[in-house]
Amino acid sequence: MLGWPLYRMIVLSFQNMRLRELLTGLTPSWVGFEQYQKALTDSAFWGVVGRTAAFTVVSVTVSVLSGLAVALLMRRVHRRVRLAMMVAMMFVWALPQLVAAQAFVWLTDSDFGVLNYLIDKIPGVDYANHSWFVNPWQGWTLITVLVVWAGVPFLAISLSAGLTQVPKELLEAATVDGATAWQALRNITLPILKPLLTIVTTLSVIWNFGLFTQTWVFRAGHPEPYYQTLSTYSYTQAFGQARYSYGSAIAVITVLLMLGVMVFYIRQMFKIGEVD
Amino acid sequence: MAAAGHDDGVVTVGRSRIGTIFANTGGILFALVMIFPVYWVLNTALKPRDEVMSFKPYFIPAHPTLDNFTSAIKAENFLSGLVNGLAITAMAVTAALVIGFLAALAIARFNFYGRRAIIMIILCVQLVPLLALLIPLFLMLQGWHLTNSLVGVALVYLVLLLPYTVWTLRGFIAGIPKELDEAAMIDGCTRAQVFWRIILPLTGPGLVATAVYGFIQAWNEFIIINTLNSPDKQNLMAWLLQNQTERGTAWGPLMAGAIITSLPVVIFFLSIQRNIATGLTAGAVKG
Repeated sequence: MLGWPLYRMIVLSFQNMRLRELLTGLTPSWVGFEQYQKALTDSAFWGVVGRTAAFTVVSVTVSVLSGLAVALLMRRVHRRVRLAMMVAMMFVWALPQLVAAQAFVWLTDSDFGVLNYLIDKIPGVDYANHSWFVNPWQGWTLITVLVVWAGVPFLAISLSAGLTQVPKELLEAATVDGATAWQALRNITLPILKPLLTIVTTLSVIWNFGLFTQTWVFRAGHPEPYYQTLSTYSYTQAFGQARYSYGSAIAVITVLLMLGVMVFYIRQMFKIGEVD
Repeated sequence: MAAAGHDDGVVTVGRSRIGTIFANTGGILFALVMIFPVYWVLNTALKPRDEVMSFKPYFIPAHPTLDNFTSAIKAENFLSGLVNGLAITAMAVTAALVIGFLAALAIARFNFYGRRAIIMIILCVQLVPLLALLIPLFLMLQGWHLTNSLVGVALVYLVLLLPYTVWTLRGFIAGIPKELDEAAMIDGCTRAQVFWRIILPLTGPGLVATAVYGFIQAWNEFIIINTLNSPDKQNLMAWLLQNQTERGTAWGPLMAGAIITSLPVVIFFLSIQRNIATGLTAGAVKG
């Protein structure tokens, strides 16, 4: 039941399914590797791949580092402050992706958005009626901020749960022996946290690599070429242009690219299982 | 997490007072920045139109009103979206629980050829973005004349929910000692009785948590239903998407609708948060 759609997707990517076949119900013709060839020789496709990879690397790095920083901060603050941080993160985590994205669209609205109003307050900066998506770098910064904001709660809460596993005595002994905070983090905390870090990082890579909702909502369902990533590209090719086979071929390539990362996740899951 | 006791397990040796003040300030600032967008949704929903569309934003509504909520509820396709969403979610979650439970039982309790391969497939499919599978699923539904129908969407959601359901339930069933089954069978229970009297009651909490998680997943989905169905056969999330236009979005009613749509998810999520966090990171394979 789960394998069947996967199998159909692969079959489809070797055919040429267009609107005509969809409407008439004719079996689409076999074209071999033509769809793949078309994708792999298309510079637009490689642009999309590069953009997706760059976004994934940047957003995952920022998310995981922020998550780790917040988790460490949570160990340092007063109990009540920690509770406030937890409550705030829980609400952000619980918020549906679509609602979170729409909230950001509204916050960054060019005319009535709070963000422009606040930035405009800085002396010498004119951000009234500033449109964030004209310049792709600014647009992508905003998308990254949204993804990091939404991703930090899971990372910080998981990692802070992991930090409770670090023996207090070990850290205290290190401090007494004159280790700096940085040394204690590098040589004690991080090695103990490593299995958990591997899992949350690979999960973040998988999620951010499949970025769809955020760009889709920000660009109101019509992402410009420089806002396309692999999932939006595959979707618009299939459902916007009725190139179902081409869209499938892109989806297969996406899954193959992700497979490399997934191996890490699965191996780590099995490893933990064997230790138990 | 560490709610009990004052700063238990936290190192206090060699910490400066100023550092602690800095950390606390940073923590409070972080909480405020994180919660601000959520607050802004609430704030916008409670403001009359002229305060929403103001060049100088009102950080606290001057004349709070519930008008946005009534106009959202009265809007076209809102109530049908609510009913459709509930119907689709109920169908998908029920089917996922029944099929998923049986599959999980097989994987956790019986040794058969290809068991490890099935575990691998489940883990992989769980990680494949559903969007990649949407194209073949769409064509399959088209062939069965199930596009623009609630059942068709429910079928797609079933595929979406199944891997996670099997995976989590497998964890719960594996947690029940096999000796319990064996003891019951020695005392004269049949396999069916073992299932009804031991395994099912003991996985009860797991079933509830999985159902709630499935509800959240199905309820939050909007791309698939927006692709497959016409506006009168969609759910509330798709309603939100369609009411955000490039120019002239009515943000007050939209944010009010967003709150109504998110409310069940937020409540459910907060009730099972612990399970989600551990399920994603610690559902390790045993055997």
